[in-house]
Amino acid sequence: MDAERRIQNLNDRLKYIRDIFGQKENDNIRLLAAKLSEVVAREHDLPGGVLAEELARLEDLFDFSERKLDLSLSPMDLVRIVRHPQRICLKDILENVYDNYTEIGGRGEFNIDPSMLIARAIFTRRVGEKVINQMVMVIGQEKGHGESYRNGGSVKPWGNAKALHYMKVAETENIPVHTFVFTPGAYPIEDWPGAAQQIARNLYELAALRAPVISVFSEGGSGGAEAVGLGDRRIMLSHGYYSVISPEGAAAIEGGLRGGTRATPELIEKCATQLCITAEDNLRNGYIDKILQEPPLGARPNHYDFFRELRRELIQATNEAVSEVKSMKLYRAMAVRARKSDDAESIFMRWTLSKSALKRLVDLRQRKYRAMSRHARLDGTGVMKRAVAATKETISAVHSYFRYDLLGRQKKRLDVIFEELGAEAHLVRHKLLMPLKRTIDKILPGNNGVEEKKGDAVRDKLTRLSCPEDGACLVGSEWAWTSPRSQQDRTVSCPNVRTHHCPDLWVPDLFGDFAGVCPSCGHHFPMEYRWYLENVFDYKESKEFNSQIESINPLGYEQFDLKLDKAKEKTGLKSACITFETAIDGVDTTVAVLCAPFRGGSVGAAEGEKFIRAAERAGRKRQPFIAYVHGTAGIRIQEGVNGVIQMPRCTIAVRRYIDAGGLYLVLYDTNSYAGPVASFLGCSPYQFAVQSSNIGFAGPGVITETTGIAVAPDYHSAYHALSRGHIHGIWDRREAKKNLHQALLTMGGRNLYYR
Amino acid sequence: MRVMRACMRLDLDFVCVYTAEDAESGHVRLARELGGDTSLYKIISYLDANELFSVADAAEATAVHPGYGFFAEDFRFARRVVRRDRPMVYIGPSWWVIRDLGDKINTKRIARSLNVPTVPGSDRPVYNEVEAEEIASSLFEFQTSQGIVDGVIMVKASAGGGGMGIEEVGNFDEFRSVFRRIRNYAKRNFGDEGVLIEQRIFDFNHLEVQVVSERSGTKHVHFGTRNCSIQSTGKQKRVEIAPGFAPGVIPYTFDATKVIEEITEHSMSMARESGYDNVGTWEWIVTPKGEPFLMEVNTRIQVENGVSSIISRINGEPVDILSEQLRLALGGKLEYSQEDILFTGVGIEYRIVAENTDKRFTPCAGRITKLDWQKHEWLNVYTQVPLDCEYEIPMEYDPNLALAIVWGRDLAEVKVRGAQFLDELILEGTSGGKSENFYTNIRYLKEKTGNILEF
Repeated sequence: MDAERRIQNLNDRLKYIRDIFGQKENDNIRLLAAKLSEVVAREHDLPGGVLAEELARLEDLFDFSERKLDLSLSPMDLVRIVRHPQRICLKDILENVYDNYTEIGGRGEFNIDPSMLIARAIFTRRVGEKVINQMVMVIGQEKGHGESYRNGGSVKPWGNAKALHYMKVAETENIPVHTFVFTPGAYPIEDWPGAAQQIARNLYELAALRAPVISVFSEGGSGGAEAVGLGDRRIMLSHGYYSVISPEGAAAIEGGLRGGTRATPELIEKCATQLCITAEDNLRNGYIDKILQEPPLGARPNHYDFFRELRRELIQATNEAVSEVKSMKLYRAMAVRARKSDDAESIFMRWTLSKSALKRLVDLRQRKYRAMSRHARLDGTGVMKRAVAATKETISAVHSYFRYDLLGRQKKRLDVIFEELGAEAHLVRHKLLMPLKRTIDKILPGNNGVEEKKGDAVRDKLTRLSCPEDGACLVGSEWAWTSPRSQQDRTVSCPNVRTHHCPDLWVPDLFGDFAGVCPSCGHHFPMEYRWYLENVFDYKESKEFNSQIESINPLGYEQFDLKLDKAKEKTGLKSACITFETAIDGVDTTVAVLCAPFRGGSVGAAEGEKFIRAAERAGRKRQPFIAYVHGTAGIRIQEGVNGVIQMPRCTIAVRRYIDAGGLYLVLYDTNSYAGPVASFLGCSPYQFAVQSSNIGFAGPGVITETTGIAVAPDYHSAYHALSRGHIHGIWDRREAKKNLHQALLTMGGRNLYYR
Repeated sequence: MRVMRACMRLDLDFVCVYTAEDAESGHVRLARELGGDTSLYKIISYLDANELFSVADAAEATAVHPGYGFFAEDFRFARRVVRRDRPMVYIGPSWWVIRDLGDKINTKRIARSLNVPTVPGSDRPVYNEVEAEEIASSLFEFQTSQGIVDGVIMVKASAGGGGMGIEEVGNFDEFRSVFRRIRNYAKRNFGDEGVLIEQRIFDFNHLEVQVVSERSGTKHVHFGTRNCSIQSTGKQKRVEIAPGFAPGVIPYTFDATKVIEEITEHSMSMARESGYDNVGTWEWIVTPKGEPFLMEVNTRIQVENGVSSIISRINGEPVDILSEQLRLALGGKLEYSQEDILFTGVGIEYRIVAENTDKRFTPCAGRITKLDWQKHEWLNVYTQVPLDCEYEIPMEYDPNLALAIVWGRDLAEVKVRGAQFLDELILEGTSGGKSENFYTNIRYLKEKTGNILEF
């Protein structure tokens, strides 16, 4: 009986190994298989003692081979490990790592989203004489062991909304949050709320969540991972992966595949290698803090040693995060830092934090992300210039402190007092003087001579040109810049011709006067980003900054250098983001533009950095900050996690800016998808789009592929985004400037000084 | 029709487009008669520019006459004509002139910058309520100072037209609510919430100055004035008389000669300043007190040009303004000056329309069974109705039947002749569609003939 079980066990192990290595045959595997079948064949011939001996030898061989195979794992093998049904799941961790827990909001299938698991859990420890219970909020994606309703850990928007809710609960209760990332990516549907919208909200909240957040990464698939993964400490399991996109997705994009065709395994393997998705890669790039070593070929539910290790690591990390900001740390902090991990269990540290400590915690988290991905961009600014810029920055920071924080606040307070007094005095005066004036009017009836002169003046006013300096000709939309397309003599048909019977449009009219808008149905044809720069943002008059920050190929992605050079040559830009300061009808603003012609407007390290610097500058100068999205295809996948990390980084920058009292406006044009929309763009409280633009998380093809839902052609349209509550208004392109000015006049933040 | 005749007169080839509904009408038959079947192109819609250009290319046309309607005032059409890969001559003013003067508000601004009188009020769309109230209050004040007791101001949507989004306000207290209503209406219907505020002028006369200029835009002459005060409710002109006033015959409360001089002088100076370079009409309104206000500029040749032609003589020779337009647009020079143009007699133009004049000029559907008139040397009649067969009035277009121009040596004579023509005119038809009887406006025209040019 015992022997049979041991043989069964070995069979399972062999099967697991075969699953992991897939098609690849290996001497080791073959050897194991041969030995195992040999033993099985002789099972009944051998006496019990010999069989046990044989089996013990065979088990040793398995252990040895597994260790050996573990060294030869390729990135794609790792992907197969984390996707294997036997991989540990969050439920296993809850059972084995924490001492007790209550799952919140769900009993298996009956749950708002079974793939997002929330639990209140406790660590119970004996420290010296005392028994202490420490509470944490556990949030993470639950893959399960292959249950279909878990959806493979692919979380729907409302699942993320649930996570967001309990993060806030943890903030209120002042307990740490442990998040576990077990997701291949978010479920890309646009509903109420949409996937992008909800992830953006989560990120925005996490960017300044007043609770220590410890994240554990096992399977980190892009946006879905970020929705819970923005932590103070990021631990990664050694056999996990953390990537911008699944290797299959990257291969499909790389191979230019469409509509259901699968990429070849070789190409997928290659993409997995190039994307730098392993724990070592991420540690080297600085995106995680620590790797937790797993047993050979990945942790499975019966690896109890591993759970003990994980428990210790979690306690240690929480201790560290807390001790960093605690005012009274002294010896305990030293003990924690000594990293005698055995001690973690025996050191007691209270995990509740005071208000000022929480503030320091958030500040520390924001700085941590600010410093990331420095290696993934190129700053072409000269040393002297950089020094000058740094000096200027310091001076303006000091100036802004004095001007706005020290003096401005007092002045404002005084202004308010004077205004109140003035209004009061006016009323009093009115009340006192009115009877007097009435009597004077009665005694002295109006002087006729004066009246006549006044009549002439009125007549003049009504029949003279009201503002001669404007000139007479107002008609015709005289754009400062028109598209070169408006030189062609041809006509185009409006796509709405069936429903609106639009006449065919002559191209010079359409791209010249009409700014690419069909005059009869209002369809917006795509326009060049130059059009906006010149006609809305007065680019010629503006001050561009950080133009020397350059996109590079940090992962050495094959052939990407060439593509990048081509994009740079085509557009004359160094990255897809242009940042400048300009005046919109007299209101000084900072503007960041994401332009689609440069690699689809995708966001990489350089773009993210420029965006962050623009937000910081706007905050320093107390200017409104406008992000104009000419188009974005998402995160630049060729930069791997260097790109993904821009999501939390930029969101944090935006959060800091908004918390300081700034006005952050986003205007979408053409197509905006994926990462940026699901983070720093989608978190803005004021988002507007032009008609006929598309906003969403994943394109229609991807949605159909991953969810099997057939999407309507207008699934991502601006009107749908408006009805979902993602954007907050639809503008006409021709009136973009007018509307922007109107918005700036009406929505100023409390610290903006332009009014 | 008259364009084609003018082409023949100038020895130019032409092609003519028509739609299925118009296949029977006069201009198609005339084109067939003058140019043969090759000069006719059938199109689906008169309003589709692309179709017109493909016809022009197929016919290898070198110039385009936009007619009297839709495209004649569209500067984009004019621009497209000259900016194509195969450019053509646009018979009409240059596109930038159409753009500048084709818009009423802009015309008003240009006029004011040249000190040409315009209707008191705002000269640009007003968006701001405070500003609007200021204008309104000063308008009321102004009207009181002018001795107008029940002053009324008009509030209208600047992007509107055709009588939509216009309201009158009798006193200042109502103004704010009306302003808000109009602004919301404009925002909803036209997408632009700009509002214009103007003085409402009652009992005015509508005068026009016919200006003609050569391509260089530097030399201008005028062909006198016309009075177009007799209009249907939809502001459609029904009777036009040239010249605009008859100072010697009818006693006016103001100096009519001076007014005519003033408006021609202002029109000419504005044409000079704006570089006007073809045929156009300056439309004026004259108040009972004799104050002229510029209303708009029509940057096209108008249907009623014939009545100005008939009273004008260049060095004793008769003139046709339409032929002049073609000649000048194709680069011809003005070989005469204003002194060479003399005006003799009085002309009346009648527009005979199938409409019920008692019922707010509603168009009338039906068939024309007979149309005939007595020929006179002082009479010109243009019609699209065939004289030898029945004619169905097309529902898709205005039910204009005929245009008659009567000339007389003086006002008395032309009145008699006009009445005589209308008496002799035989027009019979049967009703169709929803209307019970067949109506025309002949009786209305007769009534109006009696007191033309009077205020």
